[in-house]
Amino acid sequence: MLDQLKSDTITSDLLRHIRLNKAFIIWMGVLGISFLVCIYAYTIQLRDGLGVAGIRDYVSWGLYISNFVFFVAVSLIGMLMTAVLGLIGIKWASPLARIAEIIALAFASVAGLVIISDMGRPDRLLYVFIHGRVQSPIVWDITVVTIYIIISLLLLYLPLIPDFKICYDKLEKAPKIQRTIYKILSLNWNNTPEQQKIIKNSIRVLAILIIPVAFGIHTVTSWLFANTSRAGWDSTIFGPYFVSGAFVAGCAAVIIAMYFYRYNYKLKDYITDMHFDKMAKLLVLVSLVYLYFNLNEFMVPGYKMKKFDAIHLNELFTGAHALLFWSTQLLGLVLPIIILLFKQMRKPLPVMVVSIFVLVGAWFKRYIIVVPTQEHPYLPIQNVPLNFKFYTPTLIEILITIAPILLAIIIITILSKVIPIIPIHETLEELEEPEKVGNK
Amino acid sequence: MYKKNIGLKLTTIILGSLLAINVAAQNWNIPADQSAKNSSFPFNASTAKEGEAIFTKNCVSCHGNPGKGNSLKSLSPIPPDLAGAVTQHRTDGDIFYIISTGRVIMPSFKDVLTDQDRWKVISYIRSFNKDYVQVLSKFDSGKSKLVKITMEFDAKTNQIKVLVKANETTGVVSLKNDEVELFAKRYFGKLQIDKTNRTDANGLVVFSFPKDLPGDKNGNVDLIVSVNDDSYGEVQYQKVFKVGVPTNKPSLTEKRAIWNVLAKAPVWLILTYLFCVFLVLSVFGYIVYNLFKLNKSSDIKNLKS
Repeated sequence: MLDQLKSDTITSDLLRHIRLNKAFIIWMGVLGISFLVCIYAYTIQLRDGLGVAGIRDYVSWGLYISNFVFFVAVSLIGMLMTAVLGLIGIKWASPLARIAEIIALAFASVAGLVIISDMGRPDRLLYVFIHGRVQSPIVWDITVVTIYIIISLLLLYLPLIPDFKICYDKLEKAPKIQRTIYKILSLNWNNTPEQQKIIKNSIRVLAILIIPVAFGIHTVTSWLFANTSRAGWDSTIFGPYFVSGAFVAGCAAVIIAMYFYRYNYKLKDYITDMHFDKMAKLLVLVSLVYLYFNLNEFMVPGYKMKKFDAIHLNELFTGAHALLFWSTQLLGLVLPIIILLFKQMRKPLPVMVVSIFVLVGAWFKRYIIVVPTQEHPYLPIQNVPLNFKFYTPTLIEILITIAPILLAIIIITILSKVIPIIPIHETLEELEEPEKVGNK
Repeated sequence: MYKKNIGLKLTTIILGSLLAINVAAQNWNIPADQSAKNSSFPFNASTAKEGEAIFTKNCVSCHGNPGKGNSLKSLSPIPPDLAGAVTQHRTDGDIFYIISTGRVIMPSFKDVLTDQDRWKVISYIRSFNKDYVQVLSKFDSGKSKLVKITMEFDAKTNQIKVLVKANETTGVVSLKNDEVELFAKRYFGKLQIDKTNRTDANGLVVFSFPKDLPGDKNGNVDLIVSVNDDSYGEVQYQKVFKVGVPTNKPSLTEKRAIWNVLAKAPVWLILTYLFCVFLVLSVFGYIVYNLFKLNKSSDIKNLKS
């Protein structure tokens, strides 16, 4: 009886945020209007061509591609949280898995759109599929990004099937259409042992598959750079360097989302201080791995200072990009590690603030990886205009770069208004079998 | 030959700078017969356009764009703006001679551009002069069709023998004392073989052929002979001889390679890619099948209860 009461409270707690309220409408209004402004900037680019952006013959991959790498990076967290932590059987991570999956799905699907913004003739996108060469990392990238989006969607959907049933049963006040969709998506879920087995099996298979695919998506993204012989990109550790960096950005994004959900959706009992503490520790762990790769990536060529590497590294260490380089390394990586080592700093608010620094640092780190290398071509063009040599993003370009960020937030906001962001079925299941869980 | 050229150029430059700088622009000493030369084809918008392309490639870096006054001022003497009065007051033959022979810092384009190309450049230069009226050459360009060239390879002496004759209505005439050049065709441009020679009284000219010239995989070399006669014009003749060293350098795009087209992608890469995609697709198939089963299994339960 008490259990029944408890499970009813949990269900109503976790379903409470699935409704339209004033705050949501205002928030979506602000996001929507800002997004439209950015889309207007994009229509200018469509009309006048890529010349409206600051990218020129030297730096042809500017903000857009930096943004793309950032989006792919953040999306990788879905794999870490659901697959790696899930398969190992780390229980504290399971309530956060859906938040991670929502972020993964939103960022991975928007990443594909970011690429299109870097195309002068987006109407020729289809040619990539028709005339693409299997030898080109760009084709691998498109393949693996598409696969990752589908797996992320499935990994979000499968654990949701029982929750859709709960939504259909409990949300009687919801619009009819919404309830019909819940019913269709719940696939006649009856909580039978056979159904439970099928779901568990499917999730397990996908969780195993997503690990190589997720490594693939970001390793291939790194190969877009590492498979050329440019100073700063020509590196054998670019794959793991990118993957470890991705976990840092993803962890930070999940922590920020957790903080937002905890206070706005009143989920203090479900996203607890313990979760922030654990996530902060995870962030420190992945940051340390990333720091290790950074050390290798800059220390090894920095020790040798080969001709072209030296030009590039001097720009980063002491030259035009020094401020950005050292800010991302210190404020976005080293200081967060040190700060989060202290127990008092692993409380929700400080962890969230540190995560914002980490996430912003992660974005600028992608800029540092993509842009400076291109400013020093092996075969310089003679008598080039000054704006070839020094890349400065234009306002239109900045707006077009902000658009995907807004779009990802819009997707996350909408998703978290129609599906429970803490898995209800799993939470109830754990409540039913506390001993079994304890023994494991 | 190369060294001699350098020596010649150096001497010319040194002498030129010492003696001729200030009078350079005027003192071309153009022979009267050269000065009276004219183009055999009429200048029009189309020839001027072709001339512009050649001009942009060969001349603009020093002379600048005609009429813009943007010639390279750091040179001595300063290359004239070709739309200017100095150039436009010259005859077509003068300009043709200047382009062909060159002097001091103006290079000779005789071996760089064909006669036709040089005339097209003049057509372009003249397009900046509204008062220009072209005088066409009385030379009959149709006469060049009468020229008959035969080319033979003598394996014993390793020589190429070229016989130049013309089938006039009055009978076959040997072309005497004509300039003849022999070239081997390369991927880009032509390679001159031996020196520029002149035909003898029988219209015969002999070139010694190198023994180490690489040919294609069968040793074939595409030879071009170019004859320049005052009354028959410039005539070219082309023939393939098996005179080179057989060289089998497969083209870089012949075999399967990373840099090749999709149809010639490395097999291991195609297989790896297809295997990965197949693996993922089969997992997706399995998941869809599972979802189908999930939906179905509930129905059975419902029927039973």
